[in-house]
Amino acid sequence: MTPFRRRRDGRVSASFQPAEAQLLLSLAEEAVELARAAATAENGEADPALRRLLPDAYPDDPEASAEFRRFTAAGLADRKERNAQVLIESLAAPSDHVVRVVLDEGQASAWLRTITDVRLVLASRLGIHEDGDEGDIHDEESAMQRAVYDWLAGVQELLVLALRP
Amino acid sequence: MTDAGTLEETRTDELLELGSPWVTIVWNDPVNLMSYVTYVFQTYFGFPRREAERLMMMVHTEGRAVVATGTREEMERHVEAMHEYGLWATLTKADA
Repeated sequence: MTPFRRRRDGRVSASFQPAEAQLLLSLAEEAVELARAAATAENGEADPALRRLLPDAYPDDPEASAEFRRFTAAGLADRKERNAQVLIESLAAPSDHVVRVVLDEGQASAWLRTITDVRLVLASRLGIHEDGDEGDIHDEESAMQRAVYDWLAGVQELLVLALRP
Repeated sequence: MTDAGTLEETRTDELLELGSPWVTIVWNDPVNLMSYVTYVFQTYFGFPRREAERLMMMVHTEGRAVVATGTREEMERHVEAMHEYGLWATLTKADA
């Protein structure tokens, strides 16, 4: 990957290696599925990872939280899904070549949000609950998840820095 | 927790009319980057960079920060927006 850079037209651009682009695509596709699952998850019995995508709005009031969820979950999940679709579309068709992405402000925002959603879910699955937690890394898959989690942080950091005025 | 700047922006007559205001709280989490949280505070709330960074640091070091004060409906809108950004936000009555 080459770092995101601000262009003269105000948009930001970066290049990804084919394997990186493929990884981002599959993560964004997963984010679409997760958003749909989060919206339909039954109250109280939801997977903690999905719960983190749509957390309780009222910490001490389960009833008000449930009501808030009833009114907002579908719309939030829709927008999360749309954000992930923006990421998928901006990567276009994966190729054997370097994939160059050019993002306007809105597309960049969708990227940031989708990367956040994916990292929230990975953190929950890895057991990263507090600052400084390394996560429960016990096999190849969890080690890979942790590597992806860190790599996404780097991508997001570069994108945020490029967006700064 | 709030600061003089925020209080000044809140019209006193509105507060009197509505009784106790509500607040939006953003909580610390181990996932979100400091740069991203600052970006969200600047982009969504329109805070100047310095104020956004101050609030971000408060979230980071104190575990939470009040980022907005107002009616319950307004705070619900903010909390929903924060959830779209992936920040952990809640609302509560200001005097609670």
